[in-house]
Amino acid sequence: MTDADLVARVLLEDDHHAFAELVRRHQSAVRGLLRQLARSDLALADDLAQEAFLRAYKNIGSFRGEAKFSTWLYRIAYNCFREDARRRKELVGINETQLEAKLDPQTVNPALRQDLMQALRLLPIHERAAVLLCCQSGLSHDEAARVLDIPLGTVKTNVLRGREKLKKTLAAWREN
Amino acid sequence: MDERLQEDWLDAQLRDEAPYIDDAGFTARVVQQLPAGRRQSRVVRVSVLLGITFVACLVAYLVSGRGQFLADAATFLIAMPLATVCTIAGLCAIAVLGVSAYAAMLKARELRL
Repeated sequence: MTDADLVARVLLEDDHHAFAELVRRHQSAVRGLLRQLARSDLALADDLAQEAFLRAYKNIGSFRGEAKFSTWLYRIAYNCFREDARRRKELVGINETQLEAKLDPQTVNPALRQDLMQALRLLPIHERAAVLLCCQSGLSHDEAARVLDIPLGTVKTNVLRGREKLKKTLAAWREN
Repeated sequence: MDERLQEDWLDAQLRDEAPYIDDAGFTARVVQQLPAGRRQSRVVRVSVLLGITFVACLVAYLVSGRGQFLADAATFLIAMPLATVCTIAGLCAIAVLGVSAYAAMLKARELRL
């Protein structure tokens, strides 16, 4: 059964089992994205994921099927994260000097995974979100623009800048 | 070429950083919090709104001297030139349309895809 079939069942019959199946299918991707956005705060990420799915259920009537269901979910999840971040005043980001200082390969954990996670965490939120959606979740630039509600050109710029910073940080690993 | 290879390597590392997250009761917790009976809640909401409207109309009717204001308003409107009535009606319609369109756009912007 496709996502569209399940959505139709939720809409027409208010079928909780169908919605549960949708949650089961997409929970890993949504929680994974939120965990990365929330800088590995697992409890916060799961709370936000829960809120995102509940919001999706309440507003499922507004899903028109023009984009993939997962893209629609990502957008709701990102909105939940953004609202929470605004509340926590996290959207300010981190300046370049701070980034350079924290990402000195000599001072961070030697494991590549740790370095990558660290580098991701230190990207400003708009670059982190664009990189995660396009490079990790496999969304096209156009889909990411819809999720983030920003122009296509801005997404491309953010991905490019984010990638450049990550590459710079992980240069030592690449050379090895 | 090296640039391309670097990007591929970075993308591969990022994809590897997205392992499958075990459900571990997450779906059950979400389902547990779903509001009961969307259709039922719609019926309740419509009933409450209709009930409140009816009571409000009844109160207005009784308080205003059994609807005397309606007769006064009708007399006032009849006395007005037709062009003025049409202009007022048109402006009201445009105002309502504008507010509704703005509200709809705000909602659609957040959720429609």
